[in-house]
Amino acid sequence: MIKAEIDLDSLIDSWDPAPDLLSVNVDDLNHYYGEGEMRKQVLFHNQLKVRRGEIVIMTGPSGSGKTTLLTLIGTLRSVQEGSLEVLGSELNGITTADTNELRKKIGFIFQAHNLFESLTAFQNVKMATELLGIDSATAKPRIEATLKRLGLGHRIHYKPKSLSGGQKQRVAIARGIIHEPQLILADEPTAALDAESGREVVTIFQELAKEQNCTILIVTHDNRILDVADRIVSMVDGNIRSNVVVKRNATMCQILNEFPIFQKLTPQAISQVADKMDLRKYSPGQEIIRQGEMGQEFFVIGRGEVDIEIDGKRVNSLQEGAFFGEVSLIKQQPRNATVRAKDDVACFILDKDEFQSVIDSSTTFEEELRKAIFSRQ
Amino acid sequence: MSVEVPLAWKNLIHDRRKLMVALAGIAFAVMLMFQQRGFNHALFDSTVEIVRQLDGDIILINPARFALSNEIRFPRGAIDIAASHPEVLAAEPLYIENVAARLRREGRRARPIRVLAFDLDKTLFLDADDSISSQLPALREPNTAIMDRLSKRSYGFDLSSSATLPQSGELSGHRLNIIGFFQSGRDFAHEGNLIMSLENFVQYFGYRALDPRDVVDLGVIKLRDDSNADTVVASLQNAIGGNVRVMTRQQLIDKEIDFWARNTPIGVIFTIGALMGFVVGVIICYQILANDISEHMGEFATLKAMGYRNPYFFGLVIRQAIYLAIMGFIPGLVLSWLLFQFNSSMTGLLMHLTLPRIITILVATILMCVVSGLLALRKLLAADPASLF
Repeated sequence: MIKAEIDLDSLIDSWDPAPDLLSVNVDDLNHYYGEGEMRKQVLFHNQLKVRRGEIVIMTGPSGSGKTTLLTLIGTLRSVQEGSLEVLGSELNGITTADTNELRKKIGFIFQAHNLFESLTAFQNVKMATELLGIDSATAKPRIEATLKRLGLGHRIHYKPKSLSGGQKQRVAIARGIIHEPQLILADEPTAALDAESGREVVTIFQELAKEQNCTILIVTHDNRILDVADRIVSMVDGNIRSNVVVKRNATMCQILNEFPIFQKLTPQAISQVADKMDLRKYSPGQEIIRQGEMGQEFFVIGRGEVDIEIDGKRVNSLQEGAFFGEVSLIKQQPRNATVRAKDDVACFILDKDEFQSVIDSSTTFEEELRKAIFSRQ
Repeated sequence: MSVEVPLAWKNLIHDRRKLMVALAGIAFAVMLMFQQRGFNHALFDSTVEIVRQLDGDIILINPARFALSNEIRFPRGAIDIAASHPEVLAAEPLYIENVAARLRREGRRARPIRVLAFDLDKTLFLDADDSISSQLPALREPNTAIMDRLSKRSYGFDLSSSATLPQSGELSGHRLNIIGFFQSGRDFAHEGNLIMSLENFVQYFGYRALDPRDVVDLGVIKLRDDSNADTVVASLQNAIGGNVRVMTRQQLIDKEIDFWARNTPIGVIFTIGALMGFVVGVIICYQILANDISEHMGEFATLKAMGYRNPYFFGLVIRQAIYLAIMGFIPGLVLSWLLFQFNSSMTGLLMHLTLPRIITILVATILMCVVSGLLALRKLLAADPASLF
């Protein structure tokens, strides 16, 4: 049974957000560079859903396509194949006018601060308000308040030359957020900063996400700021290799840790398994597995109660936190019972192949360990 | 009220040192254009300056005289016919000798000079400052003349304001005393000018005709104030016949300039010169604007990512171009004015800096900067915000 302190309800509720709660919805997205024979695919069938208010950190080696994906989301490149919805607008085939409207809802923060040296901090930020047609009288207090909030109250009318690196980046952030964007795209925003300034910057991001329900996508190699991420997406060779909702993954790991078969795994392996877990919901009376069929999945009950029937007779019932379906997978036998939802049931599911690889890797892990100890002499 | 951030201006003046270099470059191009156009105008202006100075509404001239320096004359009778026309106030002959008149000073080579002569009792020159009329009594003396201050220095006469007078020399083999100065200017065909009395003129150039007074170079005709020059020209032409051409003073000026423009490469040469000034300006201005753009590529691309569109950048660059043009034009104009003074005193050419000519060069300067702005703009429009990531 799962410990009481694990919050299964919030885990289930946040699992698959309704489409109108999504900021970014990437579906089967492909992208190519070059023309004709030089055409080279850089993004392969990518899937990604980002909820409003989520802070997503994207990592991956250079050339992995994360930057391409970010520029596609930012409407700075045109979508070629697949679907990409940003703030409710489909970008595949979007018009220029709509693109420009959309851009005004997006805030960009670049690795280089890209501030005009000839303009003061105030004027640099004002460039963003002018674009939206905010008149000077309205813009002035807003700009000043934003700069003050970013700790630049005493530097409002300074030119970039007289600001430190962290201060410049904060001015750039002020420029990126002054129009209260619903989506912020940041590329290595902390790369040029020392630890303290970098921490200040990500703290601002967290506040924005919390207070304005602003979605923030950060491409970074800076592992000092990983702790702010709600989701960590890592890309390799044009593919989203892993897409981990950090909190969910942690909860999932806790759940899996309750089961003896997973306890042998290393934290890394268990996190990988947790990441593979899916959620499925059943209505009362619905059959979950049927006696006599070959087992395909392993189940953990997240919510509700199920009945176990053998030859049509109810023999037992299982509740929240219990698991079933593993025997058939381990022994490669048909299901020995039918499992039916008694009320509204939500189950965490692990695919047979994934389950098998867990079993395999737990032995490999042991072997690896033996070898390591042996070679230590 | 919305006050936009003056980005074009701020970017331009941000680096003062660079701005100074830029303005110097543009001022140089402006000067080059002024200089070339100035010479062009000066050469044409100089050829007709003497006509401009004539106090007459209508001029009589031999139709075969294709240029003033071409000494084809007409009989005096035509002037008498003109004088009898009811609309005519006065008709006076002007005598000119050019090729045959050679002025020499002791120790120098004899050089041709244009000699102008008329009846001292009549006024033929506009002479607003009375510089000619005040010297008329003295000119009645034999062997006297007044000399154009802008004549070539190689004649050997002291033409400065502190010159001692009289200065003596030789005109076509006879003694001549320079007793004063006037001011006109020299041109392609004439290195200097003398004015003398008709009596003296007859003495020096008696071989012109049996009575030298009978062949006239130009007839200077003054009309009544209420006369219409064009109708008088027509009726005079009718009365005089086809052997003498009747034209307004302005027509003669236009014809003379047209001749030099058609028959010499001057117009072409100086137009090319001015064009080169223009091109130099375009290159300098392009360098400045393109450099400014490439230095701020990241910033501009950020603006694009934010949603700024091409018309904004178009306006930005054009504004910078116009600021540069105007800021570079002012020192260019001042320097050109100084240079014109210097040129005028060195060459005797008339370097007029008139308002229409200033406006022409200002327009050319703005055009120059806008052209380079448009060239530089391509670079900015190509700025790809995707390259920022």
